[in-house]
Amino acid sequence: MKVTFKIWRQDSPDSKGELKTYETDGLTEDMSFLEALDHLNEKLVLKNEKVVAFEYDCREGICGQCGVFINGRAHGPHDHMTTCQLHMRSFKDGDTITVEPWQAGAFPIVKDLVVDRTAFDRIVEQGAYITAKTGTAPEANSIPVPKEVSDAAMDMAACIGCGACVATCKNASAALFTSAKINHLNKLPQGKAEQHTRLLDMTKQMEVEGFGSCTFTAACEVECPAEISISSIAEMNARYVKAKIFG
Amino acid sequence: MSIFFRKFIIAATGLFLCIFLIVHLSANSLLLLPEASARGLYNAYSTTLRENPLITAVSYLLYLSIIFHVIYAAIITIKNRKSKGTGYRVNHKQENSTWASQNMGFLGVFILLFIVVHLVNFWARVKLGIGESVGLDVDGNTDVYEITYTLFHNIYYVLFYILLMIPLGFHLHHGLKSAFKTLGFYHKKGLRVLAKISLVYAFVMSIGFGVIPLIVYFK
Repeated sequence: MKVTFKIWRQDSPDSKGELKTYETDGLTEDMSFLEALDHLNEKLVLKNEKVVAFEYDCREGICGQCGVFINGRAHGPHDHMTTCQLHMRSFKDGDTITVEPWQAGAFPIVKDLVVDRTAFDRIVEQGAYITAKTGTAPEANSIPVPKEVSDAAMDMAACIGCGACVATCKNASAALFTSAKINHLNKLPQGKAEQHTRLLDMTKQMEVEGFGSCTFTAACEVECPAEISISSIAEMNARYVKAKIFG
Repeated sequence: MSIFFRKFIIAATGLFLCIFLIVHLSANSLLLLPEASARGLYNAYSTTLRENPLITAVSYLLYLSIIFHVIYAAIITIKNRKSKGTGYRVNHKQENSTWASQNMGFLGVFILLFIVVHLVNFWARVKLGIGESVGLDVDGNTDVYEITYTLFHNIYYVLFYILLMIPLGFHLHHGLKSAFKTLGFYHKKGLRVLAKISLVYAFVMSIGFGVIPLIVYFK
């Protein structure tokens, strides 16, 4: 299988980037997209050229590291999928594939396809945890949690912080990510005690980082590998009003 | 001022304007009656509204809603553009979102243009007395029907009033369903129902307002 990669190359955060074209042969349909990039990098090494920098870790769709913009979509042409789960069989022999880093003011480019997503970490630092020291794992049934509540919290906890929601959003809004982190804990009895400060602090940080505001295009829920719904953002809005009144 | 507050203002003013449109379209449907009864009813209705102090208060709320909706939309659009930074070389956003949802500001500019022209055509003449003076009908009411009738016998205005209902329809469809989410309505099934209601609402409003000038033209 042969494809033409057009890949964003940028040496450093301050340098000017550009799309560079690489004709790549010897790929197979069974290769994951990241393996195809590995294959390209091996060729570049043999030619004594700089390899393409891109992030990855687990390669099984759960770590959220491998976010890149492929052919105009976050994580490529499929809905709800990470880049590592995308395979070359999703492309045709002879295709041109454009690969760009996430674009958002709050996600500055580090090098090539790698962006700095620590803005997410700083939002998490503002309260995506409970401050009580919990010690070792407690008895699971000591705090009864209704099934529908634990399921709903688990749906929110599924967020892997990949940044696709921000990357695909025309406003670079981090509302889906932040709402998932807030709703996850605010739904559970363990998170209730700090629900209002958590919400106000995390949403404030979201704004400080320079993320835009949500206009409900719903692009984020289509690209989210964890299938988190935009109703999560609506829930955060409702909780914001509650926090402002009772917080 | 927080992101939330700015969005709440846009949603709340937008919803108020959506309610206003229902009242406005109901009144406009009087224009569809045969001329003899339409003129009297339409003029009597508009005179009653103008003379009611409660309606006058609501009309100020309406002006403020339009002004705040536009100002905050402009602020948010500018801030969001800054957040996004440089765009992608290739971006297939039509695969994950509707065109209207990506272009609310663009659609809004057309609607604002329409509102300005519409206010010059009616509000400026009737309320401010600017432009050609308006006569009275046989009952002594200001003859707003005559303004409408004359305006909609000019094909250029008819086309303008029809074509500008297209951006209105798209704007209302995305705006109405999103306003509820912005204001914190998050029940999933309820949101699906609201999405359908928004679609029907947008259709009824844009086709309703768009078809009336055409019918008056052929009257």
